[in-house]
Amino acid sequence: MLEKEMIQSRGFRNVYRDGKIVGFQVAFRTTYYRGVYLSQLGEATVTVDGEKFAGNQITWTIGDRTYAQAELAKHSEVHWPYQEPAVLTVSKPGGLKPGLHQVELSYQYSASYMPPAMDPRTVTGRRKMVLVF
Amino acid sequence: MEITRKEFLQMAAGAAVCAAALPSDGRAAAAGGPKRGVSLYSYTGDFGITMTLEDCLADMNDMNAEGLEILANAHIEGYPNPSEAWIKRWFGLLERYKIKPIEYGHWVDSRLHRGRELSTKESYEMLRRDIQLAHRLGFSVLRTKLGVIDDTLTPVKNWREFIQMALPDAEKYNVKMCPEIHSPTRLKSKMIDDYVEFIEKTKTKYFGINIDFGVFQNRPRRNAPEMGGGRPFTPGDKAEDMVPLLPYVYACHAKFFEMTDDMTEATIPYEEVIGVLVKHGWNGYLLSEYEGPRDLYMASDQLRRQHVMLRRLLGEA
Repeated sequence: MLEKEMIQSRGFRNVYRDGKIVGFQVAFRTTYYRGVYLSQLGEATVTVDGEKFAGNQITWTIGDRTYAQAELAKHSEVHWPYQEPAVLTVSKPGGLKPGLHQVELSYQYSASYMPPAMDPRTVTGRRKMVLVF
Repeated sequence: MEITRKEFLQMAAGAAVCAAALPSDGRAAAAGGPKRGVSLYSYTGDFGITMTLEDCLADMNDMNAEGLEILANAHIEGYPNPSEAWIKRWFGLLERYKIKPIEYGHWVDSRLHRGRELSTKESYEMLRRDIQLAHRLGFSVLRTKLGVIDDTLTPVKNWREFIQMALPDAEKYNVKMCPEIHSPTRLKSKMIDDYVEFIEKTKTKYFGINIDFGVFQNRPRRNAPEMGGGRPFTPGDKAEDMVPLLPYVYACHAKFFEMTDDMTEATIPYEEVIGVLVKHGWNGYLLSEYEGPRDLYMASDQLRRQHVMLRRLLGEA
């Protein structure tokens, strides 16, 4: 089961490579009731404790595949389901310290049956969360 | 739709039998007439958080609301390619909770690709894929959501082309494709005239209409002041406006926002709406669509209230 909040507490952790922390990851659910195809997504931005990350600092992992932000538009055959979190991996040498962090995550998506003036939609979630390691 | 004398006598006979022996288990008493169901869209605030698919079906069983609508993209695991194991489990759940698959909600996603609209051929292929999957899962009606091009929800210009291409598939798989009439679209409008003209021109039995009862809303919502984008509330259609469309209506969304403690809907005149359907012998499924606040556990409570009301209006209670 997922948490009702857009940003999930499970999955918030640093990313290690060859014994060094190269960044951190955060999981979130779409909150859009029918899920969305990757080609309908706009790029995500992540802000932690006031530090903003965007563009190619971020990759998306959905299911067992990882995508660069610029690649999302090509994948109309991949559906991100409502019941599955996506994981954003954010590049940040040294990562985040254990403890409390204020996290904000924003992304856009397009829905074909919304009046064009209301499309695409920007969704932002904010959560104070704990990173363990 | 006019009912035949035979149908009328069957209904009257059925009602007489049921009046004599009221079932204690809440099953539909009247033979003929609209039937109760639920769209899983109602459970959006809880689905995947506090409720699984099985929990939703169990909830419906608890209310004897046997007619099911799912949203393909939301409720089919692995959509658009569910596993055989999931499909087997699906049928097991339907049997266990005595649920009838009625309507399959899906989208012809015109804005699937960034920067361009879906071509007619691509739209047809997406539609055909959903027709086949809906049939596979036991559904007979599709709630076909078309892409829109303006504020009043006018559908994409090429809808006639790809719907026409899909009619043989719909016939082969015995499913009826139904765009939804949803506020702010009005029942008496060019969009509806266009749908009716298409149906009469093609004489098809495989394309029709789903009426969302939100079109009849005649009082502003109290529990969502931010809805409406700051525009003043305008009352919707009269229930009688449905009557000429009923021959083409294969399912309805029993939309609701707020059921009060005395089991009435605060914004939509259900008594009139159900009254018109019963009077004209419409015997499809009323698929509850709760669209009020999405607090945890609220949908289950609100659905129960609505079904108390529906049972009363349908003569089950």
